[in-house]
Amino acid sequence: MSRTRLACLLVTFAAPLLLLRPTPAAAHAVVIGSSPAAAAVLPALPGTVTIRFNSRIDHARSRLLLVPPEGEPLALALAPPGEHTVLEAAIPPSLPAPAGGWRLRWQVLAIDGHITRGDIPFRLGTP
Amino acid sequence: MEQFLDLYGFINVVLQVVELTARTALLGGIAFWLLVAMPLAPLMPPGDAAAARGLGRRLVLWGAAAGCLATLATGGLGLAALAATLDAPFGVLLGADFVFAAGLAMLAQFLLLLLALPGARPSPGRQAALAVAALGLLGAVTAGSHALAREEERALLLAATASHQAGAALWIGGLPALLGALRRLTPASARAVGRRYSVLAAGGVGLILLGILGFWRGYIGEVEAVYGTAYGAMSGTKAVMLVLLLALGGANFLFLHHLQTAPEGLLRVRRFVESEMLIGLAMLAVAASLTSVPPAADLTEDRVTWGEIVERFTPAWPRLTSPSHADLAIPALQAQLDTEWQQRQAAQRPQAFTPGEGLLPPRNAQDIAWSEYNHHWAGIMVLLVGLAALLDASGRVPLARHWPLLFLGLAGFILLRSDPEAWPLGEIGLLESLRDPEVVQHKIAALLVVGFAIAEWWVRLGRVTGGLRFVFPAAMVAGGVLLLAHTHAISNQKEALLVELSHLPLAVMAVVAGCARFTELRGPERLARVARWVWPGALVLIGVLLLLYREA
Repeated sequence: MSRTRLACLLVTFAAPLLLLRPTPAAAHAVVIGSSPAAAAVLPALPGTVTIRFNSRIDHARSRLLLVPPEGEPLALALAPPGEHTVLEAAIPPSLPAPAGGWRLRWQVLAIDGHITRGDIPFRLGTP
Repeated sequence: MEQFLDLYGFINVVLQVVELTARTALLGGIAFWLLVAMPLAPLMPPGDAAAARGLGRRLVLWGAAAGCLATLATGGLGLAALAATLDAPFGVLLGADFVFAAGLAMLAQFLLLLLALPGARPSPGRQAALAVAALGLLGAVTAGSHALAREEERALLLAATASHQAGAALWIGGLPALLGALRRLTPASARAVGRRYSVLAAGGVGLILLGILGFWRGYIGEVEAVYGTAYGAMSGTKAVMLVLLLALGGANFLFLHHLQTAPEGLLRVRRFVESEMLIGLAMLAVAASLTSVPPAADLTEDRVTWGEIVERFTPAWPRLTSPSHADLAIPALQAQLDTEWQQRQAAQRPQAFTPGEGLLPPRNAQDIAWSEYNHHWAGIMVLLVGLAALLDASGRVPLARHWPLLFLGLAGFILLRSDPEAWPLGEIGLLESLRDPEVVQHKIAALLVVGFAIAEWWVRLGRVTGGLRFVFPAAMVAGGVLLLAHTHAISNQKEALLVELSHLPLAVMAVVAGCARFTELRGPERLARVARWVWPGALVLIGVLLLLYREA
């Protein structure tokens, strides 16, 4: 980061266009609450997972993956849209639930067209 | 595809700047055409009336054409990013709300383009169609804004968004046409156009302020959010530039309405309008950046506190020697950073990213030390340039006119220090190091600084009189706009935000310095006499801020 910043400063005095470089940009939709919560420790997989965002979500163009401690991520079938800002999905009861670190990997399209993604980590084990 | 996603966030902001600028100019052009040029036409000589109408029409044509392309590009980019990250049929992607809003905006802009194509004086029906299409465009872009995605106070925020954009168009958007009128029309007509435009701009200011009230209520909410979040910091920067614009606009209002006898009054107005356009562009860059950060009101945790800002900005002695492993401060700093990192990991807050973006790596004390060292030496050089330029402005030290050669020191610094692991200081050879794009960028930057220094030196020696004179101010403005357009903190990453807080004033001063240098070069003499002190002063401030820069 430091060199990028310095490059930008030098840009100010010298070479505006050549130092154009990709930089991270945040996005509109951010998580304001979830079940399970980030860093939660649960005895077993919950029946449903829910994520609440700060803005309205285009459900048809959003997705939710469940990432087990090992193995391939599982795409969860999203529940029919209820609240505009909530993404909800049921976890198949037959899914093996080994102890360890799990992740709820989400990607949403906000109504304003911004794509945002992120992970909500939680653990299965003894609290 | 991964490379595309890496670039997505940045390209998106750049395209937003282009789209916002084109749209503001388009709506401003329509306002100028319909509300300034047309009503004043009977009061002006026929030649002036036709010229004023032509200026408005051409601004509409250019704005509509650029707007169509920018909207197409922005919508296409969003669709491509969605297709790259979502396993869904293209038909499903096309049904997204933002595609619909972009389509409406495209339609309105295309209609405006068609309506502006005929060169004849517009009939009342055509004028009405232009106004309706302009309102349609305003509605479409409001419908594609973040306000529509809000659950709470949506109506208020939609109204604030529409008001803010309409205000910016009325004030900033029509400035190119106003500048043209001040250049081309007879003085009496130019003054009449300027007066009417200033009334329109005053209305625009009112609409902008109304929009700000709505944004404050819906997106910010409290003073702590202004300095504690990226959204707040960028909004604060916009507010500073708004004050600068108000000062310039207020001066123009005085020149046009009360200081009619000043012989060079219109020339001063022209210079101020040019500066308004440049600062307005910088403001639009900030506005485009704001579209990609979450509102401050939504980020209530992990904000930067006032105490952290005071601690970070408390002056410390600059780091002027190369950091080394023998420096005892480095392990101590690393231990502190490790503790902070562990605390942050333990907090496990949910993070949000745009596609292609990821978590920042843990901070490294050695990197921080190098960065501070680089910033501090760059600060010394910029400070020297500013002081030498001040001496030159005094006219008492002939040798000071060679100040551009100090930039050669900056070029040498970039060459030697940007990539310490590569040639000429490091073990990696020149050709081998050029396989890294970042190294190539730094080497090219060093070469450009050399060219830039020599060009400006020639300007000082009077060897250059053409467009080359404007390279220096243009570089300052462009650099400032770029800094404003791309500096973000992701969610509330404190360190990124603290760095951003130090860079935002640098960017604003760079834009101010560029405007002042333009004015010095172009006159009139009375303004130039003031401007020649302003930009070196801004450089001195930039140098001091760089010297005080800290990352931990």
